[in-house]
Amino acid sequence: MKKLLISLAVLLVTAVSAQAGPEEDRMAFIKYYKGKFPNVPMEEYANGAYAIDPVGRENWEAIEEFPPYEPFIDRGQVMWEKPFANGKGYKDCFPDGPAIAHNYPRWDREQGLVMTLPLALNQCRKANSEKPLKYKKGPINDILSYIAFQSRGKVVNVEVPKDDPRAMAAYEDGKKFYFTRRGQLNFSCATCHVQNTGLKVRTEILSPSVGHITHWPVYRSKVDWGTVGTLHRRFTGCNKNIRAKPMKAQGPEYRNLEYFLSYLSNGLELNGPGARK
Amino acid sequence: MSLLDKYRIRQAENLEKTMNRVQRWAAVAIVLGLMAGSTALLAGEMKADAATASEAITRAEAAQKKADSVNGEWRDTGKFIKNAKKAVEEGDYAKAIRLANKAESEGNLGYQQAVSQSKLEIPSYLKAMY
Ligand code: HEC
Repeated sequence: MKKLLISLAVLLVTAVSAQAGPEEDRMAFIKYYKGKFPNVPMEEYANGAYAIDPVGRENWEAIEEFPPYEPFIDRGQVMWEKPFANGKGYKDCFPDGPAIAHNYPRWDREQGLVMTLPLALNQCRKANSEKPLKYKKGPINDILSYIAFQSRGKVVNVEVPKDDPRAMAAYEDGKKFYFTRRGQLNFSCATCHVQNTGLKVRTEILSPSVGHITHWPVYRSKVDWGTVGTLHRRFTGCNKNIRAKPMKAQGPEYRNLEYFLSYLSNGLELNGPGARK
Repeated sequence: MSLLDKYRIRQAENLEKTMNRVQRWAAVAIVLGLMAGSTALLAGEMKADAATASEAITRAEAAQKKADSVNGEWRDTGKFIKNAKKAVEEGDYAKAIRLANKAESEGNLGYQQAVSQSKLEIPSYLKAMY
């Protein structure tokens, strides 16, 4: 009888976490980090590793006094305002103006996929016979910087609509990706950013997943960046570090991953573009 | 959370630790086996000629494709294959075979790694928070 009860309880624990919805996931992550960093206020999570690394933070605050991403914002504004060859422009695709980063990622019912801001920008370009922008480096970071800056203070509010099972499937797919061990090092995203948050990898403190998406694109001073890069460029880097082959930027895997990861930051304010080591 | 729950979670954690250890050793065993196998192959009757190299590359490419089909490919597998092909062009068949075998083993390991996790498992350190 006792054995049976134990197996039932184990089953229950397993069933609960396997079927947990987005909100249960978010609460579990927050509870975990609260236990690890009891003195870090919720809104600080938007500052990534600098919420938990006092030394790095001082450096970062000094950098933010003369933000290295400023020229990108300025160039992005020019892009936003300049008409395409056909006379139309981004303004026609996004009539609500540039402060729209908080509307992404979102479930796109018509296309049946997770719509991210970079994908929406390129769909706008394509619809107007413009060449799509590359998703990791280059000019996409200018317009993303401008939109991010205009969207500062907006609150992350990702929704997984219950009435479209495809949306939940996309979220689940992203969640699965987050916990799947990959590459020669056999690490998952969670191994570093949940299990080992706060520990050091080489010279960097591992940041919590909550807050990971509030500040893109990011200026990184690291030698092989030295510029502003996209979230999917960061995903690529993290996958390569564990010696896994990265997925395609803005392909379904990374967009679903972004969907899951962004949900975890619900309630936080956007503060992009950001600056990181 | 009751004491019993905590006990169960600890049990689950211990089990996971053991499993991780088992998996790690299994992986090491596979790698060692493959290494031993390929050296034996080279030392034995197999010659390092163009035909053998080309077969090894074909096998490596198949393993790479299999890993990729489950999103399990590792970072350097493609590079090894590319370099193996270059070695063939340069007539260094021994090198080509060595690289191709490395790529093949990576492909197999990456595939196994992915399929062994086909079901989502929330790790115990987080599971306890639900
Ligand atoms: C080997 C450990 C490791 C793994 C595994 C890993 N990362 Fe990272 N990640 C880092 C390090 C180191 C940094 C830079 C320091 C920091 O902010 O955590 C980083 C930074 C990030 C950032 C930027 C944080 C910020 O504040 O700008 C994101 C987003 C991110 N990782 C996502 C992921 C995702 C998604 C995965 C899984 C695909 C992943 N990481 C896997 C080590 C890892």
